[in-house]
Amino acid sequence: MSTDVVTPEPAAGGAHGAGHGVGHHGPKWLAHHFETPTQQFDAAKLGMWAFLAQELLFFSGLFVAYGVYRNWYPEMFKAAAHQLNKEMGATNTVVLLFSSLTIALAVRSAQVGNRKLTGRLILTTIACACMFLVIKFFEYKHKFEGGLLPGRFFHPHAEHLVHGAPALPENTGTFFGIYFMMTGVHGVHVLIGIGVLVWIWIRNNRGDFSKEYFTPVDIVALYWHLVDLVWIYLFPLLYLI
Amino acid sequence: MSTSTDAHHAHGHADDGGVHVHVSSVPFYIAVFLGLLVLTGMTVGQSYVDLGKLNIVIVVLIATMKASLVVTFFMHLRWDNKFNALIFISTIFFIGIFFAYTLHDTDRRGELDPDQNVKVWQKNGERAPGGMEE
Repeated sequence: MSTDVVTPEPAAGGAHGAGHGVGHHGPKWLAHHFETPTQQFDAAKLGMWAFLAQELLFFSGLFVAYGVYRNWYPEMFKAAAHQLNKEMGATNTVVLLFSSLTIALAVRSAQVGNRKLTGRLILTTIACACMFLVIKFFEYKHKFEGGLLPGRFFHPHAEHLVHGAPALPENTGTFFGIYFMMTGVHGVHVLIGIGVLVWIWIRNNRGDFSKEYFTPVDIVALYWHLVDLVWIYLFPLLYLI
Repeated sequence: MSTSTDAHHAHGHADDGGVHVHVSSVPFYIAVFLGLLVLTGMTVGQSYVDLGKLNIVIVVLIATMKASLVVTFFMHLRWDNKFNALIFISTIFFIGIFFAYTLHDTDRRGELDPDQNVKVWQKNGERAPGGMEE
């Protein structure tokens, strides 16, 4: 009961062929250089996973920088993390995890051909993404007001700092350099994510997708999960030191 | 919850060329999400308890458990073409190499002794390996 398997009609020919494209040319969404829908689907997924691998390797540079500097200046990292707002970070974590759930459910409803629900779930995901950015905006605003900026721009104003937190060493600008780069690059990914989510929302409304063809929804969802994946590490490493 | 899925999946790709995918149930996805929430609560709770050097180990462990849930179920690697899983796992492997080699260097440079102008170990004052001298 809890699971079921969708086995769409064969693309070419067959008793139900009339509704799904004609003859061995296949349905209209099947690109001419692919033999079968399966081949096209697998190629798309393989390409996306190769792209995601690149994304992870790209982010790993920032994580290694984090590792090096944290090992060099553990006390500075600890003091600096006190200036981040744990509650806002945790809220954003829940928002992103929820958006991962909604886009996973969007893929599922696309798989079973429920177009209306797919649209609603994509919209919910977009709403969560926007909410994430709004919360992030207020966090950044607070950092700017407090002079908690990268490198040589680091000039903390005592009145804007968290009360009772440990004093910030001279080199705390290094932490905020890493903080702004990591969350900033992640934020750009959220923005791009909103763009591609809007794109599949429009295509879904246009009726491009069906039980037999939902590849773009699947691919965009994979990208969105990656954005969530990166944040899963960013949140505890930056906020919970 | 998903016991019967393998039997279905064992058919693999039938030769009709159509796309056959595993479809998890809605309650299953919600269960995964709840698991992620519980782990988030655990990591936030843990941050109020100082376990010294163990902190970072637990933080990374919990984050990795969360990441595994997302990758395995939300991103369908569990039921996907195994080659995609291989790409993902080898990525993690190379990130591991990147971390290990870099930190192995940067963690073993010692501190600069301004009197001698050489890098020394803080704990015993002996010369640290590497550096620019000679």
